[in-house]
Amino acid sequence: MLAQDKILFTHGYLHVGNGETIASASIGIEKGKIVLLKNSLAHTFDPKEWDTVIHLNGQHVYPGFIAPNSTLGLTEIDAVRATNDFHEVGTFNPQIRSQIAYNVESNVISTVKTNGVLFCQPTPRGGIISGTSSIMACDGWNWEDATIFKDDGIHVNWPSSYFISEQKEEREEAYRLKVNELKQFFQEAKNYERTHGTNNLRFDAMRSCFKGEKRVYFHANLIQELLDIIDFSQQLELAHPVIIGGDEAIPIANRLKDAKIPLMLNRIHNLPHTEDGAIHENFTLPFYLQQKGILFCLQNEGDMEAMQARNLPFLAGSAQAYGLSEEEAISSITLNTAKIMGIDQQYGSIEIGKDASLFVSKGNALDMRTNQVSLALIHGKFISLKNHQTELFLKYSKKYESQKK
Amino acid sequence: MRFIPIFLIIISFSSFSQVRPENGMKEHQPKLIAYTNATIMVSPTKVIKNGTLLVEDDKIKAVGSLIFTPKEALVIDCEQQFIIPSFIEINAHLIANNPHKTNKRGPQLETSKQGPYYWNEAIHPETDGLDQYIPNEGDEKKYVDMGFGWALSHLENGIARGTGPLIALGNIPTDRKVVDGFAANFYSFDKGSSKQSYPSSQMGSIALLRQFFYDLAYYQSNKNQPFSASFHHSINQLQKSNFFFSKDKYDVQRISKISNEFKIPFIVIGTGNEYQAMNDFKKDQTALVIPINFPKNYALNDPYLMDQIALRDLKHWELAPSNPYFLSTKRIPFSITSEGITNAKDFWKNIRLIMERGLSQEQVLNALTLQAAKFLKKDSLMGTLEEGKLASFHVYDGNPFLGDARVIGISSLGKWEQKSMVNTESYLGVYDVQLKQQKYQLEISGTNDKPNGKIYLKNTPDSAKVNVQIQVKEKDITFQFAMKDENLNGLISLHAKMNMKFGALEGDGKDGQGNWFTWSGVKREKNNEGSNVAAIKLDSAYSDKIWFPNMAYGSLSRKQAENVIIKNATVWTNENEGVLKDATVIVKNGKISFVGTSNYVIPNDAKVIDAKGKHLTSGIIDEHSHIALTNGVNEGGQAISAEVNIGDVLYSDDINIYRQLAGGVTSSQLLHGSANPIGGQSALIKLKWGVSPDALLIPNAPKFIKFALGENVKQSNWGDDDRVRFPQTRMGVEQLYMDAFSRAKAYKEKQKQAQLGKGITPPRDLELDILVEILNHQRNITCHSYVQSEINMLMHVADTFGIKINTFTHILEGYKLADKMQKHGAAGSTFADWWAYKYEVNDAIPYNAKIMHDQGVLVSINSDDAEMGRRLNQEAAKTVKYGGMSEVEAWKLVTLNPAKMLHLDDRMGSIKAGKDADLVLWDQNPLSVYAKVQFTLVDGVVEYDIHQDQILHKQISLEKARIIEKMMHLNQKGAETTNYKPKRKRHFHCDTIGEEGSLDANTH
Repeated sequence: MLAQDKILFTHGYLHVGNGETIASASIGIEKGKIVLLKNSLAHTFDPKEWDTVIHLNGQHVYPGFIAPNSTLGLTEIDAVRATNDFHEVGTFNPQIRSQIAYNVESNVISTVKTNGVLFCQPTPRGGIISGTSSIMACDGWNWEDATIFKDDGIHVNWPSSYFISEQKEEREEAYRLKVNELKQFFQEAKNYERTHGTNNLRFDAMRSCFKGEKRVYFHANLIQELLDIIDFSQQLELAHPVIIGGDEAIPIANRLKDAKIPLMLNRIHNLPHTEDGAIHENFTLPFYLQQKGILFCLQNEGDMEAMQARNLPFLAGSAQAYGLSEEEAISSITLNTAKIMGIDQQYGSIEIGKDASLFVSKGNALDMRTNQVSLALIHGKFISLKNHQTELFLKYSKKYESQKK
Repeated sequence: MRFIPIFLIIISFSSFSQVRPENGMKEHQPKLIAYTNATIMVSPTKVIKNGTLLVEDDKIKAVGSLIFTPKEALVIDCEQQFIIPSFIEINAHLIANNPHKTNKRGPQLETSKQGPYYWNEAIHPETDGLDQYIPNEGDEKKYVDMGFGWALSHLENGIARGTGPLIALGNIPTDRKVVDGFAANFYSFDKGSSKQSYPSSQMGSIALLRQFFYDLAYYQSNKNQPFSASFHHSINQLQKSNFFFSKDKYDVQRISKISNEFKIPFIVIGTGNEYQAMNDFKKDQTALVIPINFPKNYALNDPYLMDQIALRDLKHWELAPSNPYFLSTKRIPFSITSEGITNAKDFWKNIRLIMERGLSQEQVLNALTLQAAKFLKKDSLMGTLEEGKLASFHVYDGNPFLGDARVIGISSLGKWEQKSMVNTESYLGVYDVQLKQQKYQLEISGTNDKPNGKIYLKNTPDSAKVNVQIQVKEKDITFQFAMKDENLNGLISLHAKMNMKFGALEGDGKDGQGNWFTWSGVKREKNNEGSNVAAIKLDSAYSDKIWFPNMAYGSLSRKQAENVIIKNATVWTNENEGVLKDATVIVKNGKISFVGTSNYVIPNDAKVIDAKGKHLTSGIIDEHSHIALTNGVNEGGQAISAEVNIGDVLYSDDINIYRQLAGGVTSSQLLHGSANPIGGQSALIKLKWGVSPDALLIPNAPKFIKFALGENVKQSNWGDDDRVRFPQTRMGVEQLYMDAFSRAKAYKEKQKQAQLGKGITPPRDLELDILVEILNHQRNITCHSYVQSEINMLMHVADTFGIKINTFTHILEGYKLADKMQKHGAAGSTFADWWAYKYEVNDAIPYNAKIMHDQGVLVSINSDDAEMGRRLNQEAAKTVKYGGMSEVEAWKLVTLNPAKMLHLDDRMGSIKAGKDADLVLWDQNPLSVYAKVQFTLVDGVVEYDIHQDQILHKQISLEKARIIEKMMHLNQKGAETTNYKPKRKRHFHCDTIGEEGSLDANTH
């Protein structure tokens, strides 16, 4: 890692992250922060004032993409149990913290940042309350200095209202009971917070869900669940409820908007939820929400999710193909995500005063055809774009080159 | 006076050769019974009114309208009654199935049945259902009530299930109940209680059963074989009827293929959705036993749940009752089973429903009697009431096909049993009655069962009519009413005997003061006959409601190939011409007839499409796919399952066909999974929507088989119970191949020697047959593989036997030995960027395709995933990103290169005159994440069109709304409802075990 104090990029096509662009931008970085944003064509500078000046020649500049709700950094190889660190025993586990299990040296992470994904939210799985996530940089010496936002939120797997039994009534009752159990747990936690209780690790972990910055991420998809979450959040006066999933958000979009609950959408590279569903229903959902004025971002939970984090940019590309503007699509994996997670003061866009975590791509980074990351910085420092895979590529390319001779 | 029998009659069975000793005096039994004045449905086509049926012992002696009734005969007057031959139930459940249960953990690789039996526990033709049969009146009752007199039952377990007895229902001595102890053989695709690992899939069941029939033939023709009870029983049973259970409409064709292969005429026991596949049934090769238990209405009180009901379920709900009629229009012979129906009321309700949908009484009766008898080869004994046949029939008080009728009595093998003592004659009407000094009018309305009465003086207004309580017991009728007039005062009770022949009531009554008096009544006019008969309202306008497929995105008819001119397109030819700008492509009769920028001749009726700014490519070919399959992708029960064929279990109603067409895919290799080193045979298909499974298959396609290496075949990720099946290491995998091919070689040699007249032909082995095809270079290998050691190994094994590995699929470490692959001539079909899902993909790199390509290996990118299958263009584009493949070469990775791998490049894979018109129009560069398919042609047929898709999607909502409205209307009228059970999507992956698709993550 090279540490430069003052870096100036010029002539980059800047995608700010907030919907704006500067076609030929100069971006100045000092002590890890953005200190200058100018139109390169109108900006003259004294090269002596900068340690490093890079002419980007029209390449695209993006704020670091953010991969929320992922097991990235908590697993290396899905099928090898020893490498999995995301599923703890227990049903209500808010005190379980992903931050300390985050493997910043993960070989998987090193293949993700090379596509422009510079932040992630390692997230525990399983149970009803899986645990507490943190927001981490994809580069650092250890989990401590990779941390962006420690313990940013707890993750609730909302009980399923899916009626698998023909005895619908029974099933419904089971669902209600589970929701009630969850509500009681939250109520107790809230009482604990109000009465300044002590010696309960679980409730300690939930303190700032009521007053403070901690998010409550509800993982849920079906209408009944989404409606119940709106009620739940209002009743318990949660400070920052977020829904992860929301497959069936469309019929109740206005309610979500009124309740100001943002959405992290399911991987949009998924099949329609039902046989009868529109062929492209997942691809068109972001556009629908954008039109409705609902705050949303993209995430990539699912099959091989750690490895798939590197394809997050292309989810945004699909959202653009089906309605979003290019800059809206970029926001859906940068500033929107940062807003939802509560880190937008520092992250998610390239604006003066904000953290200088950004990358440069030779072409449009949302399209696999043109995504070519040429350099990337986290906190104003250049990061290595080598990884296990590029090394093997080089090694075996050399093998065949030497065979030619 | 008329003679009315109201006592039970016991008859003997003089035809029985060995007389069973009786306890006590010999019972009196009439030898002859004459059923007179009846409407007799002698056969489906012959109804005699006012006829006589003469029964002698257990047989019908005579039937007709001019039958002389012998003096010694017991006469049963059946005036206004209907005599109908008792029905034949082919799928009765009269034999308990108590499978042996074990608690043993882990896989059971070999049979646990000791003795001279077939090697697989699911094949037990020696099973004798009769042996397990215990007569039980309670079990029979439901069938008897419905009108059945015969029931075929068997032990419902396994693939070859053995024989079952044909049972005569009713109150007859148990030693006479079995008409034929070994009446039929039964088969299914379901291995039942067998815990043996093999088979674990439907294709495995098919292969196993075929192998069994080959083994049987060998046993039959080679006398010096060791005794086998399984074969012995089968040979003895060959002439009997064979019934085969299906689980879906498409099983009918699967069974039909086995039928043709072994010349065994199977009669398929259906599921009720056969109408959806009937266009492909061959009328002289298909015979069905179909149920009439139709889907119940769904509860529609929750608008949200209502939305969850799949269109395919709604459509089937609407059309299921038309199944029998539809089949009749195709002239498919069928009988009807009461399967799934628990009581006579529902049975007859559904019988009348299928008649409303177009089936005639003659056809229904035929299906319930004569056709079933023919299926059983027992039509000389039963099925009609013709002379000489067994005297089993039901007597009803009306025509049950037309309205509610009651069973008056049953003749079971000639033994008459009265079931109901109710007066069958209608006594409804208006009577002039004389009560004491006054004439009244007595009006009896309602039904025979629930009469309503009123009594009044002539010209009394309705409001002043007095209500009468009526009770009827056979011919006795009582009336009670309160009357206050000059003649009568107080509570009046009347009793009478009815004599409906003269419309007369005659009896005694008691007035309010307790005085007895006699009275009589005469019916004013004859009541309209059979008031319980409601004419069946014919409602057969359903044939235009069947969609192809009968579900979302289906349409009323199969689309036809069109002649199309695509002008001004950017054409990715995949030929030397490269990418042509502003070019024209002409499609004629399903083929590409012109490609280029020069002048061309416009074919007649061609549709002209201006593709300015758009890109035309050949269709995507997915080398590795598992869509469009049913009941299992893996036959993991054995390490070698070359005998199974994916082509046996195609499922053309899979919505993923349509979805992938929307992603530009036109052909796929449907591969067996990777659960064992030698998997099953592939199916090479074209994606077509709304066709039969067989119509998916590419005609004369080259043959392929799936092999697999690594963690899946050594069951590394299967848990601790699965440590038994050989092999468990890569070392074992090598030797397994060596052994398999050595055996195949020896088998081939034996066959060759036998042909030369030296030695005998070895018994046919379906597994070795396929391996011999490989040795003979008639079948290509596609091998699931990951790490370099195993890839290298398999190429060496192949070299040893003089064969070639056609394709390594997955091949994520192909880049490490691309030079060796090139030398061997193996192609590599890989993922663009997948890795980190298991240990053996630790060194997988997204540059793999590029390195292999550069070393001269034929490379493709495949999906192995229903979702990614619709974005293969994007996956190809990743090779541009990783390693810098040129766009033209990148595009070939999903089109021309897989065509070459599958040896289909003579007809697909590029845009060239003469090739199949499998074309995709994209709105922009097809490698872009932004590219959207505008339309997809397969053999010149527009299988997907972005605008048509909008219409089809809208149509789903409209069709749902139409059917739901109809259902709601019936629900409000009190139809029975059930809660809808939404189905979760399931998919087959490489590693999915068993017949159900997986809900789990795909671990490939």
